[in-house]
Amino acid sequence: MKLIKFFVLLVAIVFAQTSYGQKYFTRSGKISFSSDAALEQIEAVNQKATSVLDSQTGKMEFAILIKAFQFEKALMQEHFNENYMESDKYPKAIFKGAITDLSKVDFGNDGKYQVDVKGDLCIHGITNSVVTAGIITVSKGNISAAADFEVAVADYKIEIPNIVKDNIAKIVEIQVAIDYELFNKKS
Amino acid sequence: MKKYFKYLIFLFAIGLVSGFFIYNKPHQNIEKAKVDQSLTASKLFTEFEVDENAANQIYLDKIVEITGVVREVSADENGMTSLTLNTDNEMFGVICQLDNLTKHKRTDFKKGEEITLKGICTGVLMDVVLVRCVES
Repeated sequence: MKLIKFFVLLVAIVFAQTSYGQKYFTRSGKISFSSDAALEQIEAVNQKATSVLDSQTGKMEFAILIKAFQFEKALMQEHFNENYMESDKYPKAIFKGAITDLSKVDFGNDGKYQVDVKGDLCIHGITNSVVTAGIITVSKGNISAAADFEVAVADYKIEIPNIVKDNIAKIVEIQVAIDYELFNKKS
Repeated sequence: MKKYFKYLIFLFAIGLVSGFFIYNKPHQNIEKAKVDQSLTASKLFTEFEVDENAANQIYLDKIVEITGVVREVSADENGMTSLTLNTDNEMFGVICQLDNLTKHKRTDFKKGEEITLKGICTGVLMDVVLVRCVES
């Protein structure tokens, strides 16, 4: 029993130390995607992405609500939610990962830093591992993150019927643009 | 033969026109939309906090009218205004993103004022999110 208590304490101390690093946070990140198919161009924007970045460990997390994507055409939005993403069943998309070459980034100095990000992306209830290049920009203590990457629709078991196969791209481009704020704990 | 041809063209034209209208179906007019649920920001947040799945069943994709005190007003680079409404939770609230297809009577909201908005509930991340909000 004592041993367990000791172990719990140890774990708590380790966690307390690792979570001591500066954390950056936003609730209004922008994540958009575009599908560039032969017959139709589709773009949608989500301005309410939540994201956390830990500058000590390089860990980052993103979460978005699928229904918060705004399309130009209402019909596209309806089809996106009902037919393809099934957003009643899977309301969120989540990315959990980390900057793999964090040593390149100097959070104390202004500049643009090229980084690699690796993690798990969960869309439509399916989780896949994703590796992408991204840019961390530090400017007067403000931190922003940007990345462009591609996602194959089939990897996430999103079925596109044959009739619209020329309207929807098989590879969808995703753009991420996040401005972080320092996360200060109000207790 | 010629007679059928005339009808065929007519049918084709109808198909084309209706197809065009369906394709260009407008977004739901939030200002005129009927409110499905009406409650306070605190209550909505608590319901999502207690049981997210149950709350999703009730509120997801519905027009929700919500009353609360403004905690924070923010505008992004595109001029879109978002309001965060107070809840019982100190860190998280209800975020209402104003509709960019509607002309708003005002966007100069102040911290601390009580306000009633309606919008489409899209679920919860850490805060409950409502998009396409208009003042009601």
